Amino acid sequence: MLVLRRKIGQAIQINENIRIVIQDVQNEHIVRIGIEAPLDVPVHRMEIYNLIQQENKSAGGVNALKWLKGKGASHDDSSSENT
Amino acid sequence: MMTAQAKIPENTDLELDYSEAFHFPQGMAGFSDAREFGFIYEGHGNIVCIQSIDQPEAAFLLTPWDEERLGSTPVLANDLCDCLAIKDQKQVMWMLVLNPFADEQWVTANLKAPIALNLETRLGVQCIRQDPDLDIRYQWMQQPA
Repeated sequence: MLVLRRKIGQAIQINENIRIVIQDVQNEHIVRIGIEAPLDVPVHRMEIYNLIQQENKSAGGVNALKWLKGKGASHDDSSSENT
Repeated sequence: MMTAQAKIPENTDLELDYSEAFHFPQGMAGFSDAREFGFIYEGHGNIVCIQSIDQPEAAFLLTPWDEERLGSTPVLANDLCDCLAIKDQKQVMWMLVLNPFADEQWVTANLKAPIALNLETRLGVQCIRQDPDLDIRYQWMQQPA
């Protein structure tokens, strides 16, 4: 991992189009950073992104359409929503 | 009609109409190469399957956001409005990603990362919401028999 020291207001440039700026350091532990990135680059807090990534992998996959064609078909008669 | 073929389970070729595909500029979390999705409706209730054209292993089941059960739809952040070319929040169609594989009794819905669609521009994005109280596996409906 590349480790850089930066002061408040200084920036890190990644590639041509991603800029990370150190905004503030609060209570010596919390760092506020600003990120400029193209619209097609998703930027998220890592722990939340990892959760969604795992859930997508669990939910989405080659069996999704198979489920819909098979089990999903019997959903038509079902009125068992959790209201 | 421009068509594309995607390999789905058991090596079946599925023909999808490219001109009707939705473009997801950011892909889906965990499937970042999946940018073009075809919608497949099998005539079962209000569940559709979105199948990636460029990453065949990426397919998801979606169902529309239900305001009666969940309250009003989320508000799309400004940067994502730009991403979808949305000028008015009313243009956004919200859908939930269903997971039929996580629970034996329930098909669950991910309230933390719904899908926002612009039907006019055929653009889509998975919107990751920060609220820690949102269920990632909300019990949406009982598993069909």
